[in-house]
Amino acid sequence: MTTEHAHVEEHAHPGARQYVIIGAILAIITLIEFGVFYLSIDPALMTWIILILSSSKFLLVVGYFMHLKFDDVRFSGLFFAPFIIMVSIGVVLMALFFNLTR
Amino acid sequence: MQYVTGIDDHRTSTGLDNRKLLMWAFLGSDVMFFGTLIGTHLIYRNRNLSGPQEEILSIPITTISTFVLLMSSLAMVLALAAIQRGNMGSFRFWTAIVAIFGSIFIGFQMFEFTEFAHLGLTPRTNLFGSTFLVMTGFHGTHVAVGILWLWSILFASYKGKIHQGNSLQVEIAGLYWHFVDIVWIVIFGVVYLIGAYGAEGRALEDIPHAARAVGIG
Amino acid sequence: MAANIGILRRPVSTEGVWGWITTVDHKRIGILYGVSAFIFFLIGGIEALLMRVQLAQPDGTFVEAGTFNALFTMHGTTMVFMVVMPAGAAFFNFLVPLMIGARDVAFPRLNALSYWLFIFGAILMNFSFFKAAFPDVGWFGYAPLTTSEYTLSSSTDYWVLGLQIMGIGTTAAGFNFVITILNMRAPGMTLMRMPLFPWMTLIVSFLIIFAFPPLTIALTLLLFDRFFGTNFFDTAGAGADPLLWQHLFWIFGHPEVYILILPAMGIVSDILPTFSRKPLFGYTTVVFAGAVIAFLGFGVWAHHMFTTGLGAWATAAFAGATMAIGVPTGVKIFNWLATLWGGSIQFKTPLLFALGFISMFMLGGLSGVMHAAVPVDTQQQDTYFIVAHFHYVLFGGSIFGITAGIYYWFPKMTGRMLSERIGKVHFWVMFIGFNMTFMPMHILGVLGMPRRVYTYSVDQNWAGLNLFVSIGAFIIALSILLLIINIVRSARKGEAAGMNPWAASTLEWAIPSPPPHYNFAVIPTVRSQHPLWDEEANAVEPPPLPAHGEPHMPDPSYWPIVIALGITMVAGGLLIWQANTWLGLLVIAVFGFVGIRGIYGWVFEPVAEESAERVHAHH
Repeated sequence: MTTEHAHVEEHAHPGARQYVIIGAILAIITLIEFGVFYLSIDPALMTWIILILSSSKFLLVVGYFMHLKFDDVRFSGLFFAPFIIMVSIGVVLMALFFNLTR
Repeated sequence: MQYVTGIDDHRTSTGLDNRKLLMWAFLGSDVMFFGTLIGTHLIYRNRNLSGPQEEILSIPITTISTFVLLMSSLAMVLALAAIQRGNMGSFRFWTAIVAIFGSIFIGFQMFEFTEFAHLGLTPRTNLFGSTFLVMTGFHGTHVAVGILWLWSILFASYKGKIHQGNSLQVEIAGLYWHFVDIVWIVIFGVVYLIGAYGAEGRALEDIPHAARAVGIG
Repeated sequence: MAANIGILRRPVSTEGVWGWITTVDHKRIGILYGVSAFIFFLIGGIEALLMRVQLAQPDGTFVEAGTFNALFTMHGTTMVFMVVMPAGAAFFNFLVPLMIGARDVAFPRLNALSYWLFIFGAILMNFSFFKAAFPDVGWFGYAPLTTSEYTLSSSTDYWVLGLQIMGIGTTAAGFNFVITILNMRAPGMTLMRMPLFPWMTLIVSFLIIFAFPPLTIALTLLLFDRFFGTNFFDTAGAGADPLLWQHLFWIFGHPEVYILILPAMGIVSDILPTFSRKPLFGYTTVVFAGAVIAFLGFGVWAHHMFTTGLGAWATAAFAGATMAIGVPTGVKIFNWLATLWGGSIQFKTPLLFALGFISMFMLGGLSGVMHAAVPVDTQQQDTYFIVAHFHYVLFGGSIFGITAGIYYWFPKMTGRMLSERIGKVHFWVMFIGFNMTFMPMHILGVLGMPRRVYTYSVDQNWAGLNLFVSIGAFIIALSILLLIINIVRSARKGEAAGMNPWAASTLEWAIPSPPPHYNFAVIPTVRSQHPLWDEEANAVEPPPLPAHGEPHMPDPSYWPIVIALGITMVAGGLLIWQANTWLGLLVIAVFGFVGIRGIYGWVFEPVAEESAERVHAHH
């Protein structure tokens, strides 16, 4: 617990260098997504690959660029509480509209 | 209960700044806003197959515009880091880059919408046209508001109203900008890549109408 | 400084009409909300009475079918969006900063903007009466009925735009109170020491900021369909799903139910301890029950749609969630009863209304749980049983709770007591009238009388009960007359209230009535849930103003009303655009500019106008 805390303190202010590295990672993931689109694979598999890649981009931007990883946990609460509600509502709506519940 | 004089009136109960807390609450609310728009688009997929569908989405062009928006986010954090160090020149440079990249993204979107109109897809054409164009249109509007905001901040910095001491103003604008970016990450992944995957094949087999559109495209 | 940037200098005077128009004082905004809500309450009440006159006799000819549609639509929309919500906002505004020990809300100008957007949106919607007709599509505005294919009249456009503008104002207020309650509490006022009313306000504010966006989207999609020919709700032509609107509306609409009832729960939870002379039983449980209700509130929307054929699994899941949400509500009721148990109960008017709230809300809650059983719901869908149910919740619950709040806090707001004698008569007349009106509706519903019908024939055997109901409605009207008499009489010659007439325990009673504009001369430091019941508090007199004078409060501002006017008139321009394209575009352009100009004026406005000498020295 203490070491983890110290770890966060150490990285509390990511510098320009780290931002550029994350920007590069974002660009690379986007390129991979672009490549995956032209593979002929099972659409379900493709969907999961893209969901995972897009989520990692999402978390990188939220965590580092929006500083949520290093910031007060209450900001995360304000953001992720509605996010979880919305994703749940969305999943239920899709299940209802695609007749998965009959 | 007691009365203690001399307490600072300007402290907050949580120690967090009111405006930053407001921006995060707003972004939480905006999650519901875009979530509903994207959800509406998804539940209406493949419901009405007349007219152009997802096969007219251009993945190469949108990958480039996505890249531009991602890089604008990078420029935004660099601008913030610069003003926090007190380097106003660097701050102004990166802020201008953000606004310009944002404008390029809007340019791509206008090109896309015009091209779709030529291919016969408008908000009136079919359900795909309605949900897709209104959803991405609202995202574009958010980007446009962000650009206006950033130019205003840049202008205010020359008037001395934005400086190292109130870099929080830049941080808050940055939060908004990054949020617009992550909404696009979701739209690019879910609506473009997953949505259009295999759409050409489907279009060729099932929908002669749409296949013609691809032929033109 | 402002003079250089803006055409309008920051106003300094708080006197007269301009003082009210430019006010950013949370107490004045609270009073504006309260008075507006009360006026709309009278309008919505008259609409209800007209309907009851029509339904008093079989084959009634008092109003026509179309007029009846407009009456039930505007009655519902008015009571939900222009009465209960702003009445809640009136209490949030006036009381929350006082109860948490703050000088104002976190964003005073945003607060003013919320009010002006609410009142302009409400006026815009009602303005349809002069232009075309009242909206007549139901308060829920189900599409595709509301698309231009089925509703040609522009009255629906007024409904959509008016609701949209009120929604923006409400959402802005939601943000404001989330931040205010999280961030503006007095030293020592931890969250778990807050009175229940600010707690419920916090939960309602979260519900508002997370539940209103789906409504905003639904209204926007409908707006685009009606104005720009998109296909979101075009079922016949484009194959749109007729259930899309229902889903989006109820994803908002069910949290909305809790937005309407939780403020009343908070009011009652603070009144009961005062008049039982003991702390609220199970404080922590009541707080968490409120939070659980809010969270589950997002997962039960489809119980409004059981008869649409969702499929067995979905129906069962939503029925289960609906029964589950009854549990925290029941927990609250038992906590209230346990608070009364063993207390030294003082039967003052606020307590009477609070008890009316508990009993009537419980009946409404029980008939609500009945609807969680799908077969029962299917039987009762669209009958008067439903009308009875939600009036027990919204009138028996919200309105009784709000009236309890009026009697309880009127002394704090005006410095004068309401008459106990008239108050008690008011309570019994309203209680009897309410039950006469809505109890027989249960029976009418079970007998099969559908909602929203403008008349019925003799041989359906509903005539006797309907006449009884109509008489009850006029008895409610009589009770409201008693309230008006009480308020008018007491405002002029009521007994002086003093700081703490009820010997209550919370911070708002530690300052003069009515409170000075800066609320607290010195911000109190709180050490318990009941600061004024602490032993030491009895010895502590509120300190005089510090030597350096009154605490400095933000100056009034013109920009909130300017921005609200800009937004409202852009909507007005859209309405004109339908009849006259160029005039409409002109109005949109001009007022769009006014709105954007207002935002820039707002952003660069200093907190206070510079003093005259300094401005003089600059020139």
